[in-house]
Amino acid sequence: MQFLKQLGMLLRMNLLSVPQRLGLTCTTVIGVTCAVGVLVSMLAMGVGAQREAMGNVRPDRVSVLSVDASGPGQSNIPPDIAALIGDLPGIRRNASGQPIAVPQAIVFIQGRRNDSGSLVGFPMTGAGTGLTDYAPELHLTAGRMFRPGLLELIVSNLCARQFQHFEVGDTRLIQGVEWRVVGNFDLRRGSGSCAAYTDANTVLSAFRRGGYNEVNVVLRSSAAFDEFVNTIRANPLLQVKVEREAELAEAGVEQVHGILNFVSYFVGVVLAAAATIGSANSLYALVDSRRSELATLRAIGFSDAPVIAATLLEAIVLAIPGALIGAGLAWLFFNGLTASSLGFSFHLAVTPSLATLGMGWALGMGVLGGLLPAIRAARVPVTVALRAK
Amino acid sequence: MLVKYLPLIWSGVWRKPVRTALIFLQVFVGFALFGILQGMKSGMDKAIAGVRADVLYVGPAVMGGARLPIAGLSRLQSVPGVKTVSFNDSMLGTYRNSTESIFVLCIPPGEFFRTLEPETVSVQSKDLEALRKIRTGVLITPDIGRKYGWHIGDKIPLITGTVQASGSTTWTFDIVGMILDHERGEDSLVVANYYYLDEARALNKGTVGHFYAIAADPKQAAAVSDTIDRTFANSANATLTTSFRERTQLAMQSLGDLNFAIRWILSAVLVALMFSTATMMMQTVRERAPELAVLKTLGFGSRAVFTFVAAEALLVCIAAALTGLALAWIALFPLAAKYMPGLSMPMVVVAFGILGAVLVALFSVSVPGLRAARLNIVDALAGR
Repeated sequence: MQFLKQLGMLLRMNLLSVPQRLGLTCTTVIGVTCAVGVLVSMLAMGVGAQREAMGNVRPDRVSVLSVDASGPGQSNIPPDIAALIGDLPGIRRNASGQPIAVPQAIVFIQGRRNDSGSLVGFPMTGAGTGLTDYAPELHLTAGRMFRPGLLELIVSNLCARQFQHFEVGDTRLIQGVEWRVVGNFDLRRGSGSCAAYTDANTVLSAFRRGGYNEVNVVLRSSAAFDEFVNTIRANPLLQVKVEREAELAEAGVEQVHGILNFVSYFVGVVLAAAATIGSANSLYALVDSRRSELATLRAIGFSDAPVIAATLLEAIVLAIPGALIGAGLAWLFFNGLTASSLGFSFHLAVTPSLATLGMGWALGMGVLGGLLPAIRAARVPVTVALRAK
Repeated sequence: MLVKYLPLIWSGVWRKPVRTALIFLQVFVGFALFGILQGMKSGMDKAIAGVRADVLYVGPAVMGGARLPIAGLSRLQSVPGVKTVSFNDSMLGTYRNSTESIFVLCIPPGEFFRTLEPETVSVQSKDLEALRKIRTGVLITPDIGRKYGWHIGDKIPLITGTVQASGSTTWTFDIVGMILDHERGEDSLVVANYYYLDEARALNKGTVGHFYAIAADPKQAAAVSDTIDRTFANSANATLTTSFRERTQLAMQSLGDLNFAIRWILSAVLVALMFSTATMMMQTVRERAPELAVLKTLGFGSRAVFTFVAAEALLVCIAAALTGLALAWIALFPLAAKYMPGLSMPMVVVAFGILGAVLVALFSVSVPGLRAARLNIVDALAGR
């Protein structure tokens, strides 16, 4: 009780003196603001990239790849094998009773960027029948769907904005033959990367390909995964493996996410260290400037514990506005901003959980920065301090 | 005159050792970060500038589509502005039970390969000669040799995704020589004979992965690229030609917004440092008002007092900045090289670091320094 009473009085004294020592208190606030602001906005890049990649992922969607492939790029599934996969158990059926198993053949074509004028490659996916059953998030905003057997493609709106001549009605010369852009589409979320679709068999014949890259399947439910995998394992004809959509998407952003997170935390730790040192320094100065007050209080019977606690609490109280301002600035400036890194394009996402993380860091900085000055405050020798003035 | 008063400045620096040490530490940490971020940026720029612009990489316009037939080579050679041409192909393989893949670069074992990238890859004529003589030969890097315990003369079976005419996917190579990759220290690359691959494989016979073309005049490389692509355009084997430098540039550009982030971070660091050192200097001058007044009483002018205070700040900031840059260079670069190869710290970065330190010091000392210079002796000595 005595402790709380003394603590309350000390805290009140400390905080009321803030306006007199505005510069010193601002040091803590500004240092924490910078550290938290930078950490939160850097991490927002990683979160944004992750969201972009995982935005459309569903637990009931899987991809069938050849057994030795490390990703769709190295995978090759001959048409006769692809035809067998549709007959396996556990696959959901569409409205007309057909299993939703869509073979895809991926090639990389080039587009000329509107901004830089440079040629950049992006994937054009040849998809078999049932693409819209597999990916209901794909909805056309202009034109119509490509028709099987014709040299027609549909292109995402993002692509049409980024690259020249990918609007509905444009014709493109690919490998010496003319293709028509017949539609533009959006993918509800995760439309951060450029995508183009056409008919699978058109790709096989136009680019003289012997097989598909993958067969994408919607399962009856995510629980049907084991049944599906076991049937494949039991069939020696099928030299294929099954990957969940989430795993493939995760593998795609893993490297980007790893680099972004490394840079974020590295920079975050260094800035936090700098802010902590700055805060400790200013608290030392604050404690020094209050030597006679503290000595007086000690002389009239205040004990060590509340003095230490009050200084620590002061450090924490000063760190909190820093965290709020830092996270707020990060949100204000960077949330929703489009960034691109390592070939991915995404929106920075400043989420509440990132803000909470920033708050946690701020508290850590407050405690660490306040610790030594707090002990010093409790050690003020009464007689010396009182004689000094 | 400053040299004469160095002891005075020095004792001023150490008047409050803890405070000075903390300011030093803070500036030190800030500039270590500056060093590593700038090192990253200048490393990227250097990487781009160091790559040759005259070596052109001619690949299929549609990746994943039909492969380029080797017959295109003579047509490529006849394109005006092209000096020499060559080609490569590749397989991906694994050794024994390892899950890490090995890139098998298959080249025609001619002298051309030696002219490709002399700065980064170096291979001796005798090793290429060995590769020419022994069709099943491979050249290995010292790193991959250490990794799998391979020596010259060993036979190594690699399991690949490329099927041989016999139906097997295991390719057995004889190690006949060494190749050096100075830049990355590749531990996942071997170089094999293209003609062995092409003769033994079941599919894609007579095709190549890429052509190389070296432009006679590096300045004309872009024009030559366009001509090559025009030559093959509208054919079933349309090409996409890019110079080695362009490829590096594109790869670095995709890091793009990290640069933007670096600028933001460094601005934040600078602001925080300036503010923090400024308030500390303010506090120092306030506490030392009587001492500074004594200096003035002894006859030092306002300008001299300002200089003393500024010199203290400059000394601490520059020393801390240099130590920070040194730490980035010695300790942090090797750590971060895993994620970000090619870090470097040219003198420009060091110069900018010192400039930054001077800026922080002068900004932080501006208000407190003026206050010290304008000090009223009577008030200060009276403790008012």
